[in-house]
Amino acid sequence: MSDSQEVISAFLDDEPFDAKALALALGEPDGRDVLLDLVALRHLVRMEGKDIAAPSDRKPWRTSVRAVVAAAAVLVALVGGFLIGQRRSESARSAAPPATRVVQAPAAWKDVPSGRMP
Amino acid sequence: MAVDAATLFATHQHRLFKYFCRAVGPETARDLTQDVFLRVSRATIPVAAEEEVRAWLFQIARNLALDHHRVRLRRPEPSPLAEEGSRLATQDVDLAVNEALAALPDLDRDVFLMREVVGLGYHEIGRACGLTPDAVRSRIHRARLQLRQRLASPIATRRTIPMRHSGRQT
Repeated sequence: MSDSQEVISAFLDDEPFDAKALALALGEPDGRDVLLDLVALRHLVRMEGKDIAAPSDRKPWRTSVRAVVAAAAVLVALVGGFLIGQRRSESARSAAPPATRVVQAPAAWKDVPSGRMP
Repeated sequence: MAVDAATLFATHQHRLFKYFCRAVGPETARDLTQDVFLRVSRATIPVAAEEEVRAWLFQIARNLALDHHRVRLRRPEPSPLAEEGSRLATQDVDLAVNEALAALPDLDRDVFLMREVVGLGYHEIGRACGLTPDAVRSRIHRARLQLRQRLASPIATRRTIPMRHSGRQT
C-alpha cells in the first residue's frame, strides 16, 4: 500500500485531489480494488448510526407517553373516588339503617355523687 | 457568528452521538454526548465561522473520548462478546467494526471517525486534532487501509450488495 493511493481517499472525501494521480492510481487493478473496498468500508462504518437513535429521538416520546398515562390514571382514580363517595353519602342521608338490636335499660337507675361508690 | 449552547446542542447532538457510538461504544455514547454539552454550557463558545465552532466542539468530544479510553484502560470491562450467545449478523459486523476501530491508534481513529461518521472536512479535523490537512489525509488513508485489512471479510460481503458513493456526510 503506497502513498500514491492517498489520492483515492481524498477523492472519496470530496477533498481537492490531483486528477493525474487519481488516474494513475485507478489505472492499477489494486487501486480500483482499494476504491471499492473503501466505499464498502464507509457503508459498514456508517451503518450503526442508523440503527441507534440519538438521545433526543426516543426519550421525549417515551417520557411524554408515560406522563400522559400517569395523568390519565390519576384522573380516573380521582373521578372514580368522587363518584363512589357521592353515592355513599347520598344513600346514607336518605334513610337510616334499621336497628339491629334494642337494648332495654334496667328499671332502677340511681344517681350517686361523683367520685364515690355507693 | 455567535451561537448559544442550546442551538449547538440541537444542531450537533446526533453527530456527536454517532461519533461516540463508534469511538467508545453505544453504551457510553449517550452519557458522553451529554457531557460535551455540560462542558459547552460552562465554556465560552468561540465567536467564529461555523466550521471553527464545529471543530472546537469535536475537540471537546475527542478529549472526552480519550479520557474515557484512559479510564477503561485502568479498569477494563468484560468484552460484550462473552455476554451474549445469540446475536444478529448485523450486530456481529457492528461489533467487528468497533473492535477494528478500537485497535487503531487514538489519533488515527479520531480523524477517521470525524471524517467518516461526522462528515467534517480535512481542515475542520485538522483544527480539532491539531494537524495539517495533509497530515489528516495521510492518517485517514492509513486508518482506512488498516481497517480494510482487519475487516476484509465483512467488506467482501458488503461489496456484493449494491452501494452508493456518498462523499460528505450531512
